[in-house]
Amino acid sequence: MQVISVFLLVGIIFVPIGLVSLMASRKVVEVVDRYDDACVPDNMTDKLAYIQNSTIPKTCTRTLKVPKDMNSPIFVYYQLDNFYQNHRRYVKSRSDTQLRDANKANDTSTCDPEGMINGTAIVPCGLIAWSIFNDTYAFVHNSKTLTVNKSDISWKSDREHKFGSNVFPKNFQKGALIGGKALDPNLPLSKQEDLIVWMRTAALPTFRKLYGRILVDLKQNDTITVTLENNYNTYSFGGKKKLVLSTSTWLGGKNDFLGLAYLTVGALCFFLAFTFTLLYLIKPRKLGDSNYLSWNRSPAGR
Amino acid sequence: MISILSTTPISPVHPVTNVVPLSLVLLVSLIKEAFEDWKRFQNDMSINNAHVDVLQGKNWESTPWKRLQVGDIVRIKQDCYFPADLLFLSSTNPDGVCYIETANLDGETNLKIRKALEKTWDYILPEKASEFKGEIQCEQPNNSLYTFTGNLIMDKQIIPLSPNQVLLRGCSLRNTEYIVGIVIFTGHETKVMMNSMNVPSKRSTLEKKLDKLILALFATLFTMCVIGAIGSGVFINEKYFYLGLRGHVENQFNPKNKFVVAILTMFTLITLYSTIIPISLYVSIEMIKFIQCTQFINNDLRMYHAESNTPALARTSNLNEELGQVEYIFSDKTGTLTRNLMEFFKCSIGGEIYGTGITEIEKGGAERAGTWIDGDEGKRSTAAIHEKGFNFDDARIMRGAWRNEPNPEDCKEFFRCLALCHTVLPEGEETPEKMSYQAASPDEAALVAAAKNFGFFFYRRTPTTVIVRESHVERMGSIQDVAYEILNVLEFNSTRKRQSVVCRFPNGRLILYCKGADNVIYERLSEGNHDMKKTSREHLEQFGSAGLRTLCLAYRDLSREQYESWNEKFIQAKSSLRDRDKKLDEVAELIEKDLILIGCTAIEDKLQEGVPACIETLSAAGIKIWVLTGDKMETAINIAYACSLINNDMKQFIISSETDAIREVEDRGDPVEIARVTKDSVKQSLKNPTLRVDLLGLSLICHSVVCCRVSPLQKAQVASLVKKGARKITLSIGDGANDVSMIQAAHVGIGISGQEGMQAVMASDFAIAQFRYLTDLLLVHGRWSYLRLCKVITYFFYKNLTFTLTQFWFTFQTGFSGQRFYDDWFQSLYNVIFTALPVIIVGLFDKDVSASLSKKYPQLYQEGIRNSFFKWRVLAVWAFFAFYQSIVFYYFTAAASQNGHGSSGRILGLWDVSTMAFTCVVVTVNLRLLMACNSITRWHYFSVAGSITAWFLFIFIYSAIMTSFDRQENVYFVIYVLMSTFFFYLTLLLVPIIALFGDFLYLSIQRWLYPYDYQVIQEMHKDDPHEYNTIQLPEISHLSPEEERSFQISMLPRETSKHTGFAFDSPGYESFFASQQGVGVPHKPWDVARRASMKRQQPQRTGRP
Repeated sequence: MQVISVFLLVGIIFVPIGLVSLMASRKVVEVVDRYDDACVPDNMTDKLAYIQNSTIPKTCTRTLKVPKDMNSPIFVYYQLDNFYQNHRRYVKSRSDTQLRDANKANDTSTCDPEGMINGTAIVPCGLIAWSIFNDTYAFVHNSKTLTVNKSDISWKSDREHKFGSNVFPKNFQKGALIGGKALDPNLPLSKQEDLIVWMRTAALPTFRKLYGRILVDLKQNDTITVTLENNYNTYSFGGKKKLVLSTSTWLGGKNDFLGLAYLTVGALCFFLAFTFTLLYLIKPRKLGDSNYLSWNRSPAGR
Repeated sequence: MISILSTTPISPVHPVTNVVPLSLVLLVSLIKEAFEDWKRFQNDMSINNAHVDVLQGKNWESTPWKRLQVGDIVRIKQDCYFPADLLFLSSTNPDGVCYIETANLDGETNLKIRKALEKTWDYILPEKASEFKGEIQCEQPNNSLYTFTGNLIMDKQIIPLSPNQVLLRGCSLRNTEYIVGIVIFTGHETKVMMNSMNVPSKRSTLEKKLDKLILALFATLFTMCVIGAIGSGVFINEKYFYLGLRGHVENQFNPKNKFVVAILTMFTLITLYSTIIPISLYVSIEMIKFIQCTQFINNDLRMYHAESNTPALARTSNLNEELGQVEYIFSDKTGTLTRNLMEFFKCSIGGEIYGTGITEIEKGGAERAGTWIDGDEGKRSTAAIHEKGFNFDDARIMRGAWRNEPNPEDCKEFFRCLALCHTVLPEGEETPEKMSYQAASPDEAALVAAAKNFGFFFYRRTPTTVIVRESHVERMGSIQDVAYEILNVLEFNSTRKRQSVVCRFPNGRLILYCKGADNVIYERLSEGNHDMKKTSREHLEQFGSAGLRTLCLAYRDLSREQYESWNEKFIQAKSSLRDRDKKLDEVAELIEKDLILIGCTAIEDKLQEGVPACIETLSAAGIKIWVLTGDKMETAINIAYACSLINNDMKQFIISSETDAIREVEDRGDPVEIARVTKDSVKQSLKNPTLRVDLLGLSLICHSVVCCRVSPLQKAQVASLVKKGARKITLSIGDGANDVSMIQAAHVGIGISGQEGMQAVMASDFAIAQFRYLTDLLLVHGRWSYLRLCKVITYFFYKNLTFTLTQFWFTFQTGFSGQRFYDDWFQSLYNVIFTALPVIIVGLFDKDVSASLSKKYPQLYQEGIRNSFFKWRVLAVWAFFAFYQSIVFYYFTAAASQNGHGSSGRILGLWDVSTMAFTCVVVTVNLRLLMACNSITRWHYFSVAGSITAWFLFIFIYSAIMTSFDRQENVYFVIYVLMSTFFFYLTLLLVPIIALFGDFLYLSIQRWLYPYDYQVIQEMHKDDPHEYNTIQLPEISHLSPEEERSFQISMLPRETSKHTGFAFDSPGYESFFASQQGVGVPHKPWDVARRASMKRQQPQRTGRP
């Protein structure tokens, strides 16, 4: 029976793939710490007022415990929630030509409402750049600072082709409202990797972005102290902020889903192959049995 | 509309998204139209610029056709076409006649005579013609080809004009050096143009249902948009500071006015989801149908009639799939079921039957009764004369032997009547052997040919005389040419059902000869001679029951006074402007009375080859066949028996006017029955609505129905009764002008390109050469077309729904902002490139079972009648899986954006995810097609692989370039980024398989537990691929008709006594082919070449099981 063999075949292929990817995913050690609520001082009930008040110091200290050995590189991500980077107004509010070409700085027609300030163009313009994430993390392990390597966190193609090496920030974050991080006006955009990472907009409202790498192995039960500047406003729209430390495998970060999906389908295929075999044994239908022709089933013909 | 919307700022997509597919679609249809227009234009140009000689002063000047004006005097030379409707003034022929060929108008290739008015005969030279002065009064331009009323006023004299003086545009001049005429109608006012205007356009029911589907899709689109719009209104809020919603914000995102936001988002979403409407579907369908017609139907060798060199011809490409759903066939009898090759078979003269042949119908009847009649060939006198139109043998009256019969005078009148009362034109050398007759109907030719064989050889016709070479009684053995003056011809038409001539013998005797249908003639017979009438009546019935067509012949002697007074009235009627036909009929009544019956003729109308087998197959396929004929009931029933439409197992009901009988039958509700509806009941029923319902209700439970004595209009009424009343798909097939209305009334009209001219073919949607090809046309081509189109439509529906739904799910996670999930170009090329070709390939090549199996299991056709493959249920299944798959596509790929992938830990962005999703969609949708098709050829693989490759090629190039257009560089390098991760490959393997998992499961369960008929048959014949070849061999042998013919002929004498079938051993078969070979047109070189090319295509098409 063809169907049975197809099911078996799919099952045979899928189960090992599922196992391998699940194992890969299980090897990944991931530490997630939500800090948006915890970093608001207890006496501040109005979180929005807190975050918008630039006079209050935003420094916050968190302690993370390493559940398992983590081998270098350890990736540092921040995860935002309920942040619609894929909103239409947001996605289109950028100017690729401006980012790429120093001579096209005035190409800000698509950047509204963050295109111009006082008649001069903002570089980089647009809502995406303007709302760049500005929390910072510093890690200390056993009173030794863990340096966070922030180079090569963006895709090479973005760095080399989409962000010009001779384009420098201009008029950035000079408006009445500050969206996020300010950029070093002396560093070309192609070197501003945080910006490049941020501007590769996420597909879903919950997303992670790469912050940097820690190139040190960590042992199980190590404690890490994170000193973070809690600057970014997610309070106004009730978004969560999480800090994620994660190792990686050939498959990437922790992702049981893929492995489980493969396993499930594989198992289902085996099950169905079994069922069909049973069906075949219990209620066999002779192939090409003319009794199954509709005009043979009901003698009248219809 | 959507394209316009997409150019406004509220659109989420670049205008290119909608404009590109739309314009491609438009472009394709434009090119098609432009091509046709160009051809038409060229055609027009060549016609408009054709030159004709127009009288200018006293010279003929060559002028283009387009400059022609009403009133111009023109000269037309031999073999030229008439540029406009002309009034015929004069010709080079001495007696003011010219011969025209009307093949362009009605396809009849026989020459017709036109005769100028005597008054105008002289205006032949330019000097004389320039003096022509006159006024023409005529009717308004109309589309009736065979009528014309008008007057010519010359020298204050009113001369009536008749169709006889009118030369219609489109005809051509023959056998005449040149003629001179006056232009009366030009351009669009010409009759041929008036005729060409109203071509009723037919749309297939599948397309109508498709419209409903599109409406449903629009409804879905609207619902999705409303959901999205409401969501957007609710979502939009200033709290999302990163959206910059404070201060001045454009309307669409202004949180202060959520209602406007919702409305505008609605439009946004309409443009975004517009892909749910398959714009390219119509174009694809059109293309598929066009190719189906031109490549498959027109080139099918199994529908190629070698003897007449006619292939099948699809005249419209709209109705292919309709052929797969036909439930009722309305068939004409003459020329459709029968060959319309009339042969003079028997006659009854003065109460005596002559002729010894036995018709096939009689043989069939004998077979039914259980007795066998030996084939008659062996017994026939070897000297029996066989020729076209004549298949008669009786030593008593052949070769002048009639003189010794008891009634030689009757015989003489009989033969004279045959030789004189007709409108046949002789052609060829004036010897009995080489002369052939050109007649409007083959009956007439057969009758004249009979007269010839009885010794009354009609060989020349002038406008006023008919010259007959008689082997005269009085002078034994001698031959005498006698010229009979034809004084009047009272022409045949369908209401009169008779034809008369008044002629003057050389000795001055005035006589009226009349021939016509029995009831018409009997009404007009003089009193007396009851015995003879009675025996003749019996003979008529006997002939009728033998399936012969009968005509009664009668004459009447006229006195000079009688004639003179009548002729005056006749001339008056002839020159009347209004109701001329009616008046002529009335005048004819005055003289066609007190007739004396001479006898009657019986002409055999042979069944076409393979008709009974074809009808059996079709009824096995669940198609109900109705025969609508103008014949008498007995003839009709006998023909029905002969072609297995009726057999002894069926109950028969003969329904005439009594309605009680109908009710009674209805109460019984027996499914297996035959009803014959005679004329009266139909007439009444059609008038009376309640009866109409009764009739319909009754007829619908019958297997087959024979309607006798129906007029052309009633044929159409019956067809539309079933079409409208029963809402079933109907097909009409016929060959003659009388079937045109029926052909146009039914869903599908089929014309037999046979003997009765081209009117039926011109009105039809498909033209075939033989009735038996209907099996191929319906069971093979129709069924395949239906299956293919169903597949194409459902598949289009599925792929667009799947695609759009992924977009819809994404909308939920973008704050209902209408952000597009896919890049503009992905979206616009999805339908046009990435998924277009395979579905067209399926539309062209998919077949569930081979042609021979389709015919072997005609029951398969019922799936089409039940419309099994395009039910809402089928669509619902597709829709369900589209829903399921879209969820798989969206959520499985979107989940990917959560983590870093690959060892670099970098995160994928929106466009990475969407490209991945799109890749999965393209792969899955293409693979799904492979699952859906029944026969997978290398074309399928090629196109599916090609589409997927096209997508990858496109994305490789597209994401590698940066353009300077106003376009965000979203997908730049995306595919390379994706391909640097293992995750991408794993997803690409996982998602399509999970997506197709459901479909696969469904299909296997369906196939296992509830198999379709065709699937069972596929299984039955899975292991015998050889069968295709063996079955097709005899069909391919069509390729050498000559060999086959000689084979058949050589087989004939030995087999004759054993057969009672009728396909190949019929009495006239040998002679038929002999005459065909002698007379037949030699095949033209191009024809051979074309057949050779068909030969090459044949294995290609059929070789793939």
